[in-house]
Amino acid sequence: MRVTFIDIDGETRTVDGMPGDNVMRCATEHSIAGIIGECGGAMACATCHGYVDEAWADRLPLPSAQEKEMLSGCIDVRPNSRLTCQIKLSEELDGLRITVPESQT
Amino acid sequence: MDALAPLMPDVDFAYDEVTNLHELIEELRPNGPVVRVKYLGAPVWAILDHKELNQAFNDLEHFDPGDGYRIISAPSMGMTMQTMSGEKHRVARASVAAPFLPASVRGYVERLIEPIAHELMDRLEGQREVEFVQGFTRPYPFTVITRLLGIPVSDEAMLLEWAVKLIDFPWDPEGALKSKAAFDDYMTRIIEDRRRAPTDDFVSTLVKSEFEGRRLDNEQILSLFRLLFPAGSDTTYKNAGSLFACVLSDPNLRAMALKGNKEREALATEGLRWQPPTAMLPRMATGDIKLGDAHIKKGDWVLFGITAANRDPKVFPDAARFEPSRDNRELISFGRGVHFCLGMHLARRELETALRIVFERYPNIRIKPESEVEFVGGVLRGPRELWVQPYGAA
Repeated sequence: MRVTFIDIDGETRTVDGMPGDNVMRCATEHSIAGIIGECGGAMACATCHGYVDEAWADRLPLPSAQEKEMLSGCIDVRPNSRLTCQIKLSEELDGLRITVPESQT
Repeated sequence: MDALAPLMPDVDFAYDEVTNLHELIEELRPNGPVVRVKYLGAPVWAILDHKELNQAFNDLEHFDPGDGYRIISAPSMGMTMQTMSGEKHRVARASVAAPFLPASVRGYVERLIEPIAHELMDRLEGQREVEFVQGFTRPYPFTVITRLLGIPVSDEAMLLEWAVKLIDFPWDPEGALKSKAAFDDYMTRIIEDRRRAPTDDFVSTLVKSEFEGRRLDNEQILSLFRLLFPAGSDTTYKNAGSLFACVLSDPNLRAMALKGNKEREALATEGLRWQPPTAMLPRMATGDIKLGDAHIKKGDWVLFGITAANRDPKVFPDAARFEPSRDNRELISFGRGVHFCLGMHLARRELETALRIVFERYPNIRIKPESEVEFVGGVLRGPRELWVQPYGAA
């Protein structure tokens, strides 16, 4: 499956993703700038914030209360903001597009 | 030889200054990712390699930090979130997290952090030589916390005395408890004051914050305040000292410090990797586990070798070199998992702001020629002293 990351200038990079992996891990393994995930995916650092492309937003399970709390403290939060460590890749998400916020790049 | 005997019986990683800590670690490393060393006079485990340390930080079944902290810190610090586990920890942390998240912290830079840096730089004016740890790196993060808490300047010295004493419980229980009483009494008045007349400051944010429908009580707020000084001030000042020791001594790094936010971010991150302030973090094992080749038993003390993992050659090539352009994604200085350092964003903004303002104010600042910079400490680590000449050779 493929995941596309878009930076703030609109530059895109499409990489292979592993079903079962999370989007943060997928990004760090491919050295996508601005997705750091310093706590390792425990919703404790707020360094893997990303915007999910509108076309995909509805296909994801809703964020947990804990994820929403962390997101509320991120910079430039939008309705489609997610912590990418909480998005689990699956074949249904093939083609997922994530924009990296300016504040993290 | 006894497999549980320490490998370096002459070195105590708690009591000794271990100026040569990194050489010792590289000498230990061929013995495996987890080794035996001496700490507080007794043998303990030390995790040296990145993979095993990452595993241990994420393994709360065998390495729940709560048990250890309840022994070494709870009597004088109270039931801080470090002593809590599971759902209780999650709720306690979430209740106080808001003012430490990126959006809040960004707001502190101009309003709080920059003015403090400038104030401290003002005090260097006209001085030919200054000891930079006492003159800047130590008071800087401490003052950020006292101003966050709304403590008047005239009371700062008193607060520092209490705060330093709070963590002395293992050595001076009576002194630590006396300081706790004085600290609590003083801070309770500030909390009560904000309850009566909330402003938009940090204490008011906590007083007003609700989590799962409940407001925080005084003890919940106090336990966070007690934690702020050891967790946020001692660490940041030691790291700032190490960072400036490196940046001051290299013209390319100095130029980077004045270039832009990205460059300062890279410098601060590399400083955190190269000499993390929490070099070896003591934890108590909460279950039997085989880690690397080591058979760790429940109740064993284990040093989490953050500074060793940050120089694991399998993850960081040419690890002893200070190289801000390296890939630092695997940095482990702030821990991992649910206990990941809550103050990380604040610490980073303080370090980045310091880099900019120090070199803007004193472009010719340099380390005093022929003065030696020695890094000391096996648990908390930083330069013992850093003598600088703010105006350079002039």
